[in-house]
Amino acid sequence: MRRILRVISAHVRVNLQQDLAYRVDTLVNIATMMAWLGYDLASIAVLFGSAQNINGWLAGDIIVLLGVFRMLNTLMMSIVWPNTELFNRGIREGTLDYVFVMPVNSQALISIRRIQVWQVVNVFVAAALILAGIATSGTPVSLGEAVSFLVLMVSGAALIYALWIVLISLTFWFTKFDNNVSLLQALIDTGRWPASVYPMWMRLLVTFVVPIAVATTVPVQALRGELSPLEAVGYFAVGVAGFGLASLVWRAGSRRYSGASS
Amino acid sequence: MLQIYKRFWAVNWAAQWQYRANLLMYLAYWVVSPIVFLAVWSSIARAQGDVAGLNAGDFTAYYLTLLPVDIVTASITIHILASKIQDGTVSNALLQPVHPVLTNVLVDNVAFKALQLVLFVPIWIALVLLFQPPLTYTLGSLLLSVPVLALGFLANFLLSGIITALAFWTTRVFAINEAYFILANLLGGSFVPLAILPGPLQGLARLLPMQLWLYFPTQVALNRLSAGEIALNTALLMGWLIVLFMVFRAVWNAGLKRFSAVGA
Repeated sequence: MRRILRVISAHVRVNLQQDLAYRVDTLVNIATMMAWLGYDLASIAVLFGSAQNINGWLAGDIIVLLGVFRMLNTLMMSIVWPNTELFNRGIREGTLDYVFVMPVNSQALISIRRIQVWQVVNVFVAAALILAGIATSGTPVSLGEAVSFLVLMVSGAALIYALWIVLISLTFWFTKFDNNVSLLQALIDTGRWPASVYPMWMRLLVTFVVPIAVATTVPVQALRGELSPLEAVGYFAVGVAGFGLASLVWRAGSRRYSGASS
Repeated sequence: MLQIYKRFWAVNWAAQWQYRANLLMYLAYWVVSPIVFLAVWSSIARAQGDVAGLNAGDFTAYYLTLLPVDIVTASITIHILASKIQDGTVSNALLQPVHPVLTNVLVDNVAFKALQLVLFVPIWIALVLLFQPPLTYTLGSLLLSVPVLALGFLANFLLSGIITALAFWTTRVFAINEAYFILANLLGGSFVPLAILPGPLQGLARLLPMQLWLYFPTQVALNRLSAGEIALNTALLMGWLIVLFMVFRAVWNAGLKRFSAVGA
């Protein structure tokens, strides 16, 4: 465990140096991210200019949800995408060999080889959105609601991470499967709004097939006190189980890996 | 000249056809955002009865019409050309005795959207069956939307040509394009039918060119505009077309001078 943490911190350091080497790029990236934030907030303002609520969700709730969505999206942009690219290249060119000869957990290593460290700005923005949303809605949050919100946000993100690990592991069986993560990324935008606005078939898709709603709508429901304790525990268990299952799939898949030349 | 365009078509169609699987993934990305807005607005309209006179069915029909309109009028010029300007390989195209943007790049755009439409038709039919929108097309409105779409595409093509030509000056042309894209999303009608934007923003959106290749053709096809509104918007479109063409020529020529001066 200590070794993994040291490996992670070494990767964060190297990647931070890369971001700082291209300072203007990093600043342009942050400016673009802020422009998108402006777009998101403007679209919420226009929406609530002509509606009191969206399926019972007030403006404050929607802003909290936007914060949770941006946390998840930051995970996708800063870690999932860059490492997917690296992974797919590794499979194609055989450079994945170097991962498996390292004396650390291979799944942990392929998850963190490239990190866009500047996206940490996005994490602060997302946290500010969550706090601002809670303040806007004005309803007091109990300790239980706050704790289950945070726990479900983490376990929801873990579930999405687990799905990612499964998707890229499938490349060990189906080598041509290098569009692996596209479906996940394509559907991520559905996480900006409460899942109840979608028609039934779409709600089933984003809850059970690509569980984006579990990582976005569900934690905010916990914050609004809409989840029974049993439901909350159930969603948490799904996150934990998914995480465990993913590492089994990764191990089974990586045993099939035999390099690109052979 | 026609011979030249035909030859360019053969080359570009063959080139685009190789990427049909990738294109399917691209379509999946691009279809999600309008569907999300469709769901959000129609659920609000269902709860309230209507939003600014639009009911849930109107929103569904609007976004499902916007999808093919966006394919027809979109421009991928920046993805074809910007990196070639940056690494200097555009000089091959500059040696040809025809304008590279107004021939090859134009035809490449058309080939891309033709292939996209072929792949999109079955997706569109599935979406229409799933959402059951009240599509208020008439034969007349569909026929009228053909020239509107063609002019709208040309205007958008010229605007994207202007943005792409900025690559002669700056390496940050993709960041500029993204900023433009955010603005176009908000004010062109992709986010919401213009009638719902608040007063001053709506006035600005109606004057800017982006709505002329998104909101306007969509409303024409849905037969929701009066003859006066159609005439006014068409005149505006013609005006913008002339302005954009002149600006494009000026920017492109100035860029070329700079390009040869650098000697890349």
